[in-house]
Amino acid sequence: MSLLLQCLVDAILLGGLYSLMAIGLSLGFGVTRIINFAHGEMIMFGAYGAYFASILLGVDPLLSLPVVAVLVAAASALLFKGLIEKVLDAPHINQILLLFGIGLVLQNVAAILWTGDARSVSTPYALTAFEFDTLLVPHGRVIAFVTAAILIVALFCWLHFSELGRATRAVAENGQAATLMGINVSRMYMISFGINAALGSATGAISAFLLTVTPFMGFHMLVKAFAIVVLGGLGSVPGTILGAFALAFAETWVSYYVPDGSGWAEGVSFVVLLCVLIIRPKGILGQAVAVH
Amino acid sequence: MTSLMENLGRMAVLVGALASTHAYAQDTIRIGAPFELSGRFVAYGAQGKRGVEMAVDIYGGKIGNKKIEVLYRDVQSNNQAAVTAFTELTQQEKVDFVIGPIASGIVAASVPAWRQTKPLWIVPGSSSTQLEDAMKGEPLFFHTYPWAYQYHEGAAKSLADAMGKGKKVAIVYSDGAYGREQLPWAKEFYTKNGFTIVATELVREGSADLNPVLQRIRQTRPDVLVGIVQTTDGIQLAKQIHVAKLNIPVLVGTAYPQLQEWSQATGEAADGWIGVTTYLPGMKRAADPKLAKLFPSLTDWEVDFKKRYNREPEFLDVTNYTSMMMLLVAIERAGSTDKEKVAKEFTKLDIQTMLGSSNFAPTPGGALHQAFNDMVVFQRVGEKFVVLYPPDAADGKLQLKK
Repeated sequence: MSLLLQCLVDAILLGGLYSLMAIGLSLGFGVTRIINFAHGEMIMFGAYGAYFASILLGVDPLLSLPVVAVLVAAASALLFKGLIEKVLDAPHINQILLLFGIGLVLQNVAAILWTGDARSVSTPYALTAFEFDTLLVPHGRVIAFVTAAILIVALFCWLHFSELGRATRAVAENGQAATLMGINVSRMYMISFGINAALGSATGAISAFLLTVTPFMGFHMLVKAFAIVVLGGLGSVPGTILGAFALAFAETWVSYYVPDGSGWAEGVSFVVLLCVLIIRPKGILGQAVAVH
Repeated sequence: MTSLMENLGRMAVLVGALASTHAYAQDTIRIGAPFELSGRFVAYGAQGKRGVEMAVDIYGGKIGNKKIEVLYRDVQSNNQAAVTAFTELTQQEKVDFVIGPIASGIVAASVPAWRQTKPLWIVPGSSSTQLEDAMKGEPLFFHTYPWAYQYHEGAAKSLADAMGKGKKVAIVYSDGAYGREQLPWAKEFYTKNGFTIVATELVREGSADLNPVLQRIRQTRPDVLVGIVQTTDGIQLAKQIHVAKLNIPVLVGTAYPQLQEWSQATGEAADGWIGVTTYLPGMKRAADPKLAKLFPSLTDWEVDFKKRYNREPEFLDVTNYTSMMMLLVAIERAGSTDKEKVAKEFTKLDIQTMLGSSNFAPTPGGALHQAFNDMVVFQRVGEKFVVLYPPDAADGKLQLKK
């Protein structure tokens, strides 16, 4: 029973991190219809930003998170204007190649600048836990979960109650209609790409104390985030959260109850993904995506 | 006519260029150095390059009147790039001596390329026994780094001496070649030394959460936990063990507990971990009596290294320096760049190096030339390393984690 409870707690905490990791990718796709294959590198830059803020300036990753997110968002918006906007109407393969290329360049820039050494911030809360009898609730993961929840709620509020957010949803729903309503679609694309990057870098800032930071951490996270977004439904923010928790529960359950399960967890998760896609090809809450 | 003249002219330039390349090649001793200079193993490659560079510099850059030219190639921590770099070095550059790469998987990928021309090959890395098996009986293959079983042989023996028999061991191993290959060796040596294996848990490389594995291990109440994972996962493992308060008295890693990057990333969670290595900063080893300039005392070498690179040396810095320096000495003693003659001199070397005696010996797995088998088992106590094994080098006793 205690193991089951521990399994549930671990899955919920992991689900929070996964949600934040994937939600930006989902939003970005919903608006621009481009899958950001450099999303993992934005997470990685966020992680390095928080790491260096902690090491060089002594600033806690949670405090540096807003600054890091704004900086990465600004840089990504520039990247969008300079490069990505030019391929919005290009075939998907061109978009994929460009974004993969950007990801590879960013990865190697990080390796050149900061070497391939593995790093992590050891904050006091990253190495402690609440203990309730045999149940263990790590402080770092609770803090990560709460931070993720706050950011996701903030994103929902922004999307539903702000003018820019409503405009973003309008563009996501129908770009041409949004243009006719006087919305600057190009600007909305840039903003949503920036928010995608900001949420990615926020995940990175949390990862700085929770996980191991390397220039190559992004690809693994991209694959996971992509699976979550597809599982939840491409472009659907609530679907992404559902997908994240579904994946976290599947992985954690397999890790706890299948022999050598931790090694198999990811494989099983992808089997779940495959099954969902066979039954419901557009994902749990996804929109239909036209093939041009 | 013009075309004929142009072609003749081009041919003359080509012949001239080839002739000058040939003459240049005769004036130089060319050594291929394919290292992981980018990608996920860049930390290994950087140490490899530093060690080789420093050795050539201290040697004076020349053997006799021939210049030493090291042809560095970046294998990008990628198997295919390693094959390409190795092939280019051996087939186009026609080098007869190669040092590197370091990471097990990358070295394994290079073996077929090495077989094409079989240069004298020094591998100052890779603990994979698959490599040992693949290079069985090869007279031009020299390995200057411990094999996987040597890690567990030393650690199990020293822990058995310190803890007595009948203790329980849990093993966490990664799903890559590194973990899977070492698992049988760890099981064998811990069992041989009187331990009982109570759990073997597989973890995925790069996993975001190891708590499920740790909670399962908690139920077996082991006395020792052995983590056979790479450095990145070693950081995650140490931090999560610390958070989970598993109350396991002895935590054992492989090479990673000695790394600065590991201890910096894990913070206080690094305290008490045990590791196995051939080199520890601050160890005492005397200079070679005859070649003290090339193989100084470890303390003097560390001072020189810090002056040059403004950082503490890591074990691959020392390993690569020593391996390269031994090659240069062997080439000079052979009086030739004939790889067979150099190999013969290499096997005869009897030098007191910073890693111990340079004597090569065959291994139980069938590799003909293995050097540096003197494993040191140490424990991290605060910022210091306490040597636990071998007994003659021990400067402290095993401290159980509270």
